[in-house]
Amino acid sequence: MRNDTMGIILTGDEKIAPLTDIRANSALPVAGRYRIIDFVLSNMANAGIINVGVATESNYSSLMDHIKSGKPWDLDRKTQGLNILPPNLEQRQFGVIKGNIDLLAGISDYIHRSNQTYVILSLGNMVYNMDLEDVVNKHIETQADITAVYKNLRGRPESDLTRFTLLELDEDNRVKDIEVQPYYPKSSNASMEIYVMEKVLLESIVDECSARGELDFVKDAIIKKMGGMRVFGYEFTGQCYKVDSMRSYYKTNMDFLNADFRNELFNRERPIYTKTKDQSPTKYGEEAVCTNSFISDGCVIEGTVINSVLSRGVKVAKGAVVQNSIIMQDSVIEEGVELNHVVFDKEVCITSGRKLIGQESYPLAISKGTRI
Amino acid sequence: MVSKNCVAMILAGGQGSRLGALTKNVAKPAVPFGGKYRIIDFPLSNCVHSGIDTVGVLTQYEPLELNTYIGNGNPWDLDRSHGGAYVLPPYQSGESGEWYKGTANAIYQNLGFLEGFNPKNVLILSGDHIYKMHYGKMLKAHEASGAAATIAVMPVPWEEASRFGIMNTDETGEIIEFEEKPAEPKSNLASMGIYIFKYDVLKKYLADDERDAESANDFGKNIIPKMLADGEKMMSYRFEGYWKDVGTIQSLWEANMDLIDEPPKFDLNDRSWVIYSRNYALMPHYIGESASVTRSTVTEGCSIDGKIEHSVIFSGVTVGKDAVIKDSVVMPGAVIGEGAVIEKSVIGSNAVIGADAKIGVNHESEDNPYKSKYCTHGIVLIEGGAAVEAGADILKGSMVQA
Repeated sequence: MRNDTMGIILTGDEKIAPLTDIRANSALPVAGRYRIIDFVLSNMANAGIINVGVATESNYSSLMDHIKSGKPWDLDRKTQGLNILPPNLEQRQFGVIKGNIDLLAGISDYIHRSNQTYVILSLGNMVYNMDLEDVVNKHIETQADITAVYKNLRGRPESDLTRFTLLELDEDNRVKDIEVQPYYPKSSNASMEIYVMEKVLLESIVDECSARGELDFVKDAIIKKMGGMRVFGYEFTGQCYKVDSMRSYYKTNMDFLNADFRNELFNRERPIYTKTKDQSPTKYGEEAVCTNSFISDGCVIEGTVINSVLSRGVKVAKGAVVQNSIIMQDSVIEEGVELNHVVFDKEVCITSGRKLIGQESYPLAISKGTRI
Repeated sequence: MVSKNCVAMILAGGQGSRLGALTKNVAKPAVPFGGKYRIIDFPLSNCVHSGIDTVGVLTQYEPLELNTYIGNGNPWDLDRSHGGAYVLPPYQSGESGEWYKGTANAIYQNLGFLEGFNPKNVLILSGDHIYKMHYGKMLKAHEASGAAATIAVMPVPWEEASRFGIMNTDETGEIIEFEEKPAEPKSNLASMGIYIFKYDVLKKYLADDERDAESANDFGKNIIPKMLADGEKMMSYRFEGYWKDVGTIQSLWEANMDLIDEPPKFDLNDRSWVIYSRNYALMPHYIGESASVTRSTVTEGCSIDGKIEHSVIFSGVTVGKDAVIKDSVVMPGAVIGEGAVIEKSVIGSNAVIGADAKIGVNHESEDNPYKSKYCTHGIVLIEGGAAVEAGADILKGSMVQA
């Protein structure tokens, strides 16, 4: 249990239209009943961290509604616990947040007030289940200044690797070089954008960068200072998904249909927590057909659902066929509708007899509340 | 301290012995129901939706599971600064200390708790009924009538009336006579075991009852008849809707089946009256390639590879390939092996059914070692945590203990 460590989560700004039009990337619904931020929050809570700050950039109302007091993660504490930190726009000179250093500078007061020795800084929008306690232990053991968690994406095509910040490591796992989303990747060690360091180091980095008008924690701080610091890599060998495009969003969800992936991410020792909605169990009708699907509570399934992920409260009427699709909360699929490779935001309603077909490489996404 | 208009007291100390092995280690109100609930979720959720924010839960029999389940009341929004949910077990005191002798005595022993809230009215509930009811409306009627007590009643079929406590009322709804299980009922209005008392009147009758050594210290047997005899104004409050006493394995099974009828006799998927329950961090359920699920409910944490028909599957249940579950209730965490066939059964929490086992498939026989008087109508009960060997044949009407 690492109550000497605080967590800072910077919510991502990758845009996945139309899903992020109305919410921060970290608040994206995933795997039926979860939001992306549930994974990092649960990982931190499971490591015994009792002080977590969530710094938000924009569109944070849906995130605040989801996290609220932090109760599901046992982070509703008398002191510390979960802190949602909206951007401090007044203090910034031009009122616009340009990089994550700005975001961190805006919460410097909170960081300073916290009494932990170490900090885990998470910049990413990742879906993973990791023992963060072990990461901090290793960080202390190697006497690193900064520990960067990475995943070796050996064998992945270059086009995939260029989505990541890549670490070049020596035989002792010390970081020699870092390249942020290079066009020609030299390494397959993808940063998971989780950094461990002493809190005072983070404070001095933020102060220094901010004073010089520098914007990016990785490009301006770590890369420029690497010569004088011990930066080490920590290899994560589990499953990890970066959600930064519609394609990766679709694949991340679909991979929950795989038992190994599902059982690793939702293992009993390190549960993933989320806000509960007290929906009743899902009901299957007389003519229901459902195979290879991941279904949340509160659904009413009277039609056919194959290879799909359903969030809470989805209704699939008789004669409707849903295949290879991701359907978010409270969407309604009326009789005779045919869907294949679609991604529905919340409360989408498809009226009787319509047909909507996307492709695996380009799923058809429909924004919240649309009625077709 | 701010006085409360109404404080609820839930009688949750009963064993529910007719539920057989289901209540061997847990009190009846903690018995799982409806896929993700426990019986006590219903009165607790009803209280919150009715605007009653102070609830005492009186426990006695096997309280551990019930106490930990209720905790600080947070799942029902009953973790309040003033009020909230309180678990009230029997306790030792200076001169005496004893178990709850009856329903009335249980409340009597907790008058100290009630005093702290100085309520105008006290709502007495039982922790073993399945229903959705707005107690606030009943309270309003109670206050408007100025009655000393108001008792919720519901019409039951005439032929069953002699199994209930029957209220004979005049045209205004005032109770003129109460008959416990009358052989020849004059009315079909049965008491639901839901009472609202004026607190000062209740206090007086409980104290009188306590002094009466002959009394069974029971609301139905002693307090209500005594108040009627004294001419106190007693009103009935008519409830129309689903209400079920799940006192036997048969009725518990039946009440679960009522949820999956089309349309359901009792609808849990009702956003205007959500039944709250303690949630565990479980993933959505997974329905496998070879699975088939019809006329059933399935909930979080399940992994289904077999065939489910007309059944209620609770959280975290695993069903192997080619297993067939029909007309059954499978409680949390049970594991059903490949090829097992289960019909009209209640499978307890975390029970493990071996591959190709047959449960409730073949007819009863005289020399069935598992035959149980609790398992009527051919229902099979497998106790929570029990293991049924692969290939075993458990006949209809059996109860298998852990």
